[in-house]
Amino acid sequence: MENIALADPAAHLSIWALFMQAGWVVKLVMIGLLCASIWTWAIIIDKLVAYSRMRLALNRFEQVFWSGQSLEDLYRTLADRKTTGMGAIFVAAMREWKKSFEKGAKSPLALQTRIDKAMDLALTREMERLEGRLGFLATTGSAAPFIGLFGTVIGIMTSFQAIAASKNTSLSVVAPGIAEALLATAIGLLAAIPAVIAYNKLSSDANKLGVRMEGFSDEFSAILSRQIDEKVAQKA
Amino acid sequence: MRTGLTSSVILHAVALAFGLFTLSSPPAMPASDVESVAVDIVPMEAIAQTLQGDKKAVMHDKPAPVPTKRPDIVPNAQKVGENTVDTDKPVTDEAKPKPVEKTSAPPPAPTPTEKPAVEDVPKPQEKPKPTPATEVAPTPTPKEEVKPEPVKQTEPKPPAKEATPTPDKTAAIQKEEVKPDAVAEAISQDQPTDEAKLPNSAPAPEARPKPQPQPAQAESAKAPDRKDAEKPVKEASSKKKSDEKQFNADEITALLDKQKPSGGGAKRSTQQASLGGEKDQGQKLSKSEQGALEDQLGSCWTLPVGLEGSENFTVVIRFNLNASGKLEGRPTVEKSSGNPQFDASAVRAVQKCDVAGLQVPAGKQDIWSDIRVNFDPRAMLGL
Repeated sequence: MENIALADPAAHLSIWALFMQAGWVVKLVMIGLLCASIWTWAIIIDKLVAYSRMRLALNRFEQVFWSGQSLEDLYRTLADRKTTGMGAIFVAAMREWKKSFEKGAKSPLALQTRIDKAMDLALTREMERLEGRLGFLATTGSAAPFIGLFGTVIGIMTSFQAIAASKNTSLSVVAPGIAEALLATAIGLLAAIPAVIAYNKLSSDANKLGVRMEGFSDEFSAILSRQIDEKVAQKA
Repeated sequence: MRTGLTSSVILHAVALAFGLFTLSSPPAMPASDVESVAVDIVPMEAIAQTLQGDKKAVMHDKPAPVPTKRPDIVPNAQKVGENTVDTDKPVTDEAKPKPVEKTSAPPPAPTPTEKPAVEDVPKPQEKPKPTPATEVAPTPTPKEEVKPEPVKQTEPKPPAKEATPTPDKTAAIQKEEVKPDAVAEAISQDQPTDEAKLPNSAPAPEARPKPQPQPAQAESAKAPDRKDAEKPVKEASSKKKSDEKQFNADEITALLDKQKPSGGGAKRSTQQASLGGEKDQGQKLSKSEQGALEDQLGSCWTLPVGLEGSENFTVVIRFNLNASGKLEGRPTVEKSSGNPQFDASAVRAVQKCDVAGLQVPAGKQDIWSDIRVNFDPRAMLGL
């Protein structure tokens, strides 16, 4: 029965057939790798969209910020909205500024420190949001080939066991089992390669965005510090 | 995130669907319908072996040596050649026509004999002429000349009778006959006068002189024993003759072996010659055959008694076996162990085994005609 089936290899070498022929361990590996691949691509797409959006938002905010509009007005418009990136940092800093300054803070130095802390916190949150899930890409990139190889080794093992049982070593007997086993490695590589490439690209993109936001926070901190000094001088 | 996930799932579904349809199943490899080729694993030695044959001939399945011209006289001959015996000598162009040589020598003899028969003086001349005949080929010459004698001559019967036996018998018999010859001489001296009247019967006297010359030759060329016995007789009869004979070119030429050299074996073949070399080569004793031989020699081998550390010696002994597998000549030490006793023990082993009868593989005489055996006590005696 087996020999008859093996005599017509073309009918049983489509990818679907190979998958169906595989043992349950190999099947599990393949399904897992497929899921990893799907998730990887989901992250990639999501991140690409998020980063481009973030870049746009930063550009727009910088434009508005440096347009000469008063910070109070800007804060009033942004405070109600859900902000991201520089906007979030700006809002966090302004909120702290308002809270302390309107109530008449006595030490301008302490105020400066608090504002910096608030901005740092906002920046960290933003960065977390940007870099979140990139770790999965890294893991997939490094582990998927091994998982695929594991499936292959298991598949080849079982196919060799089958060969030993059939006591026939002709290539037509050996080939299907090995082809089916190699499919696992192929899927592993299919998942790993985009993951590695995307991880490298996305992490560098996130880094760039982070640097940009950090720069803004420093700049804004300097502006606020100047404002505090001016206010202190007016009071005096 | 939801957009990313959904788009990813859609993307994968599309890719898988595309893959399932386009990569459904690879086309079977185009295996052309070629007849399978049988592959033999041949040891290199088999290729290196060349069998006797013709260098320019086409390769035949069955190797056949160059056919020879002579009819098949030696049925199981192994060597190529035109010879009547199977020898290892290389083939030469000229075959040896043995009988022709012998018959060619006597003809000059009869012509001179006629003259002396008439004259009494020239007798000494007759003597040298027959000498070569007796020296080179004693058997044929007398027979031819003897035949006429009995018919023509009635008186000289006794010498004639003696003449016939002389060739057949040995030199010792000739000595005895010398004495009657002396008498015959006397008779012959008388006879010429009788026979001079009848010139037709001139050759008749030949018979008489011959017995005489025979001793004379013996003097010049052969054993000194005869000289003592014969000299008195001859010297008495003719001292001059002996002086004249001291140098004679004819005698030297007579001593030369005029037989043409001839070589080659006697392999007969009527088949078309197959591709091959001038002689079989490349054949070797197989490991098992060599081992069997060493086994036999080992059983005949006893190490010299009281030789310290004899198992550390090895000696290579070379010996020849003839066609029947018997030792030919004495085994020689090709690579000495440095200890003569040890070497001698190995030589003895070969000789002892030869007496017992060495079992050598049949049909490989080319190889075992010349054998080298490494006598190593560790290997052969298991020390």
